[in-house]
Amino acid sequence: MQKQITEANFRLLLDSLLFKGQRVVGPRRSGGTVLYEPLASASDLVTDELPRRSVKEAFFPVCEDLLEYRKEGQQVALSDVTAERFPETVLIGVRPCDAAAVPVLDAVFSWDYKDQFFLERRARTTIIGLACTSSDDACFCSAVGLSPGDPKGADLMLTPLVGGGFLVESQSEKGEAFLETWKDRFAEPDGTQPQELATPATQPFDLKRIKAWLDDHFEDAAWDSIATRCVGCGACAFVCPACHCFDIVDEGSEKGGKRRKFWDACGFWKFTHHASGHNPRDLQPKRYRNRIMHKFKYYDDKFGQTLCTGCGRCIRVCPVGIDIAGVLEEIQDK
Amino acid sequence: MHSEKQKHDFEPKIIAFVCTWCTYAGADLAGTSRMQYPANVRVLKFPCTGRIDPVFILKAFQQGADGVLVSGCHPGDCHYIAGNFHARRRFAAFRKLLEFIGVDLNRLQFSWVSAAEGGKWVEVVTDLTERVRAMGPMVEFKDLALEEQWSGSLNTPELQEAYDAI
Amino acid sequence: MQSDTVDTSCHAVITEAVRHEARRILSDGTVTAVIGYAASRRKGSTQPIVITSVDDADKLICSAACVNNLAVYLTKAKKDVPRSGRIGVVVKSCDLKALVGLMGEAQLKREDLYLIGIPCTGVLGSVLQPAALLTTASIASKCCECTDRLPPGCDFVPSVQLPQLPRFEQRYTDEIARLEAMSPAERWEYWKEQFSKCIKCYACRQVCPFCFCEQCLCDRNRPQMVEQTPRPAGNTAWHLVRAMHLAGRCAGCAECERACPMDIPLNLLNRKMARELKELFNSETGFEVRDKGPLNSYQDDDDQSFIR
Repeated sequence: MQKQITEANFRLLLDSLLFKGQRVVGPRRSGGTVLYEPLASASDLVTDELPRRSVKEAFFPVCEDLLEYRKEGQQVALSDVTAERFPETVLIGVRPCDAAAVPVLDAVFSWDYKDQFFLERRARTTIIGLACTSSDDACFCSAVGLSPGDPKGADLMLTPLVGGGFLVESQSEKGEAFLETWKDRFAEPDGTQPQELATPATQPFDLKRIKAWLDDHFEDAAWDSIATRCVGCGACAFVCPACHCFDIVDEGSEKGGKRRKFWDACGFWKFTHHASGHNPRDLQPKRYRNRIMHKFKYYDDKFGQTLCTGCGRCIRVCPVGIDIAGVLEEIQDK
Repeated sequence: MHSEKQKHDFEPKIIAFVCTWCTYAGADLAGTSRMQYPANVRVLKFPCTGRIDPVFILKAFQQGADGVLVSGCHPGDCHYIAGNFHARRRFAAFRKLLEFIGVDLNRLQFSWVSAAEGGKWVEVVTDLTERVRAMGPMVEFKDLALEEQWSGSLNTPELQEAYDAI
Repeated sequence: MQSDTVDTSCHAVITEAVRHEARRILSDGTVTAVIGYAASRRKGSTQPIVITSVDDADKLICSAACVNNLAVYLTKAKKDVPRSGRIGVVVKSCDLKALVGLMGEAQLKREDLYLIGIPCTGVLGSVLQPAALLTTASIASKCCECTDRLPPGCDFVPSVQLPQLPRFEQRYTDEIARLEAMSPAERWEYWKEQFSKCIKCYACRQVCPFCFCEQCLCDRNRPQMVEQTPRPAGNTAWHLVRAMHLAGRCAGCAECERACPMDIPLNLLNRKMARELKELFNSETGFEVRDKGPLNSYQDDDDQSFIR
């Protein structure tokens, strides 16, 4: 279904959602950067800057409690996190590079173990996407099979119109239901032209060709020249909409504490460090190789998808300027 | 020093990091001399103040201490010759860092108490305890420990706030 | 707010000179490798590079986007950097101070290095947009207070006339003063907000030349001194521990602050500690190799006014 909404009605809609007690999460100016965070009012929403981190944290939190334990005398009381505690959420202003990663993550979080922490949040969230009218030279969504207007992963897709307002297109049942619930805010499309979308400068990658090289070059001197500069932090993995590794720790004392799940990264030296002391990825080039392999080979082997949406955040944020699009270009040229 | 126990609403938790050879012995002397002092202090024995890592002080505050005392041998008397000299520099720097972060330094006391100074031990502990009692519980770290990243937070104060703000 | 551009015209000459010198020392065997900066895919961006062949010398560049402290590649934290024979390394003054510190801690020997010093007109504070013009607004805060544009004691420094630089706001000094003027409760709120942003990516630690411990204290769990999870309480402990471990050693390259993906003003902590150590013990990092820093040495008459 296609509808249209003016800028003013859009803000009113957000305020109405908030007034009803609905949690609305969108790009918000926070602590000097823009992040996807719960909005307190429609005026909080930022639509002209890509958030520093991705939207994955709405389903896969930076850190969350799994359970709590308390020792009461000789008894241990366990208190479990239950799905009702996950609030219904509307995600708004989600860029295509972020929205498209969500169905990609669905594959791994519902594979050999159905991760209720992810899936329950997913079931309770409506994703309203926003097409991009500008990009910078780190963006490369169009190089990995996406585009600045791609509605993949969104329940509703908003495209900015010339003169203000948005074209609204439902992409799923959830999207249809949303339009139905709020139908008095939306109008029929009146033929106003959508704004011209961004055109990221990168050429599309031949992902099959890249994968073919990866299939045969696990050992290759190229990994040293590409990755010796990597210093092994987790910045790229943490800002990435598709990276999903995590660690689980118990924090507390023998009297009580919590079991927590939090983000981990294959770039850390500890990631594959065994209790025996052996580390199969003991040097950084091996760890960086894993990053590229996982995104452009292993995830394809397992789920038929690429674990990258070309958002470019890793490129902007890498302390040593590693450019994944540049690495892919280099591999493609081999 | 109190001749009879007074009832208080708030009993501060004081953690004392002390060195074995001087302050611990001094505290022991206070005990054997039957000197009375507030029972709020929990004593942790280290070989030397030079072993006391600033991260222990941080942990103490994080785990609920309202006040922290670090005490060792007088300069020149260290059992390990120079441990307390290193500690002196280290803590001079660390307290500046804590102050910069916004911790009230009145909760953190350093002292030299020798093995013969049972009386000084009692004075130092009593003064710190009463000072911290008057300041109230140290809520900063306790409150901080309750904070979560928004995405992992399971109650939704934002919703309530948003509702109240409109 | 008015912002003036910084004259970066000397970069072309410096680039040529560095390439020429790299070619020379690689071909005559003075060094087996040169660590420097090369261009990357994005316009205006640079990335660290290790070159071992003379032909690659033309990849070396110098620009306002040469932000990295290459000293980190010479520490034992980066065992995968090939290290046989003498290594050439391109250094700005701030990077050189880090190298000097590492020499003092017996991590490096001067004779194993061939130092190519860069006369510096400053670098960008952030390379999120690497093609940005270098101005009084976009320049790194550390450059605003720098007094050592020509790195001393190097094996080669291109001879260029450094241009007159515009007046800079002393950002660190001003911000530290602003924080010191606050009440403890206000300061606590400020830092709580900053540390809440931390996601424990450890970019700050990994780019730091002085964080070379083979196992960081904060990565141990027996005993666990600092929480692993990125919750505000554990983040506060992490940053305080790191600031203390760097106190007296940190050379002020501010890479930690630049590398932080959440824009936490980490170098404020390090600058504050540096100032305190200067005041308390008359000690600061510089270009002279010193055996012991302020926190592993002592004087009989050190200040103990805070000790009862």
